[in-house]
Amino acid sequence: MGSSSGQPEFDYLFKVLLIGDSGVGKSSLLLSFTSNTFDDLSPTIGVDFKVKYLTIGEKKLKLAIWDTAGQERFRTLTSSYYRGAQGIIMVYDVTRRDTFTNLSDIWAKEIDLYSTNQDCIKMLVGNKVDKESERAVTKKEGIDFAREYGCLFLECSAKTRVNVEQCFEELVLKILETPSLTAEGSSGGKKNIFKQNPAQTSSASSSYCCGS
Amino acid sequence: MSKKRRENETESGPVTPHVPVDRFGFLKQEHGNSPERFSKARSTSSTDHDREERKVRKWRKMIGVGGSDWKHYARRKPNVVKRRIRKGIPDCLRGLVWQLISGSRDLLLMNPGVYEQLVIYETSASELDIIRDISRTFPSHVFFQKRHGPGQRSLYNVLKAYSVYDRDVGYVQGMGFIAGLLLLYMSEEDAFWLLVALLKGAVHAPMEGLYHARLPLVQQYLFQLESLVRELIPKLGEHFTQEMINPSMYASQWFITVFSYSFPFPLALRIWDVFLSEGVKIVFKVGLALLRYCQDELVRLPFEKLIHALKNFPEDAMNPDTLLPLAYSIKKSVNEIMMESKGGKKNSSSSSLFYEAPLGYSIEDVRPNGGIKKFKSSVYSNCAKRPS
Ligand SMILES: Nc1nc2c(ncn2[C@@H]2O[C@H](COP(=O)(O)OP(=O)(O)OP(=O)(O)O)[C@@H](O)[C@H]2O)c(=O)[nH]1
Ligand SMILES: [Mg+2]
Repeated sequence: MGSSSGQPEFDYLFKVLLIGDSGVGKSSLLLSFTSNTFDDLSPTIGVDFKVKYLTIGEKKLKLAIWDTAGQERFRTLTSSYYRGAQGIIMVYDVTRRDTFTNLSDIWAKEIDLYSTNQDCIKMLVGNKVDKESERAVTKKEGIDFAREYGCLFLECSAKTRVNVEQCFEELVLKILETPSLTAEGSSGGKKNIFKQNPAQTSSASSSYCCGS
Repeated sequence: MSKKRRENETESGPVTPHVPVDRFGFLKQEHGNSPERFSKARSTSSTDHDREERKVRKWRKMIGVGGSDWKHYARRKPNVVKRRIRKGIPDCLRGLVWQLISGSRDLLLMNPGVYEQLVIYETSASELDIIRDISRTFPSHVFFQKRHGPGQRSLYNVLKAYSVYDRDVGYVQGMGFIAGLLLLYMSEEDAFWLLVALLKGAVHAPMEGLYHARLPLVQQYLFQLESLVRELIPKLGEHFTQEMINPSMYASQWFITVFSYSFPFPLALRIWDVFLSEGVKIVFKVGLALLRYCQDELVRLPFEKLIHALKNFPEDAMNPDTLLPLAYSIKKSVNEIMMESKGGKKNSSSSSLFYEAPLGYSIEDVRPNGGIKKFKSSVYSNCAKRPS
């Protein structure tokens, strides 16, 4: 891990979370971002995790990105991963209106419930813009939502890679502008934010029980 | 030469002609489920071939025509049966034997016409969710590859039927991999009843809790796995604690899909052989065996590499002939924990290996008329409402 060299391999480490309905393209977006490929992916069961290094300006950044399962039933497994995230990306599919309406009905509420970071940066991402002819949510609606909820906003395509890097970069730039978040994410404090043990968080573990 | 062959093949069948597939039907260039590395070793020499043939003959004798001798044999010689299953059910008999050991055969016979009813007449709130996932289930298998092809249609039917049959479960992602695996070995209707047998607990503890709201059984199993790791592989358990690795980060899919989601197919099949005959214990054991086999490597890794490694075990660890013996050798604690989770309800006899306590009855005790109805209604009634 380069720690033996004595010099930290990055200046900041940020935890980023991907949420949104099943099938909107969260895993595809992440794969497109981390390895420049687009594949037919299986549904995510539980959570997935990837690391990506970025250099922005002079700063070396390390992103620890959690990709969550979108199906409602899995929320008991994913809710504990909001903890300590400096950035949360809410993804919807611009060709499926329900994935957009669920943002205010479900996902924004999940953030309020489970995110522990007051200043956490939220970003709204409308995916699959390559399917322009099937569009069911206008860009204006995305912008309005983002304004109402105080998030960043972009439209992108995991398939064509349009705006994929920008999604993550804009998010990171905004995190870097937020002193309370950079303080946590600086390499001095990396241990704390990198290792958030979800099981030890509040409600999710209350149903652990052996009796039947 | 190749040109001529190609023409013939194109005419002859629905199978995509130019794509090389392995002996299980997965596209060869795909990673993930491709079992090529294991099949290569298989049936190369003539002695291997002979051995396989002898094995099939033994098995045929054991199950009888269409499975007619099975119950008798299983009751008389449970240990022989158990041992043979652990060595792997011959692939050509797998579908039939799975139905016999899971109790699904009986369910099918007791409920004629029910499946058709569910498929044709009922509608499900999960239909769209299921459709969306159909092409995302085993996309590298020829049977499921073709859009709206027979594989995708069967998969849809089974999942839809189940979501109607058991509205508390409905459709949960991950069930598609289980149904898909079954469909490679049996008909739609057979696969459906096997799913019922598993989730409703025809032979072993019901699996439905893996899929109910809040995933109670997943939570329980993850919790139990964590304590087992600490107890049986303490060095690794300690490392996990230090690195703050939690089983929900890697093992949810082990339980939710019984290793059918991302494990090499030949390994998944061998696990399923044992899973159907011995129950969920084997999922714990295989998981623990994997961790134990790799622990020297794992204890050296920091968090992020650890997480990656826990989802990408090395090839040698995934070889069924290495991993399964290791899994079988893990005995005591798993059994104890599983006993505890049954609420201390110890099963008195060890000979009732195959037909212990299905929903409170034993399938083989059920005789025509009264008995069968009783069983039938008890299984079917679960679909409408389950007191919990
Ligand atoms: N045309 C198009 N298809 C996409 C795009 N992104 C994803 N898809 C497709 O949408 C489907 C779902 O993508 P996933 O990345 O698995 O979706 P997800 O949000 O991770 O879904 P869950 O893991 O179930 O929550 C896949 O079949 C992808 O191929 C895109 O930008 N354009
Ligand atoms: Mg996903």
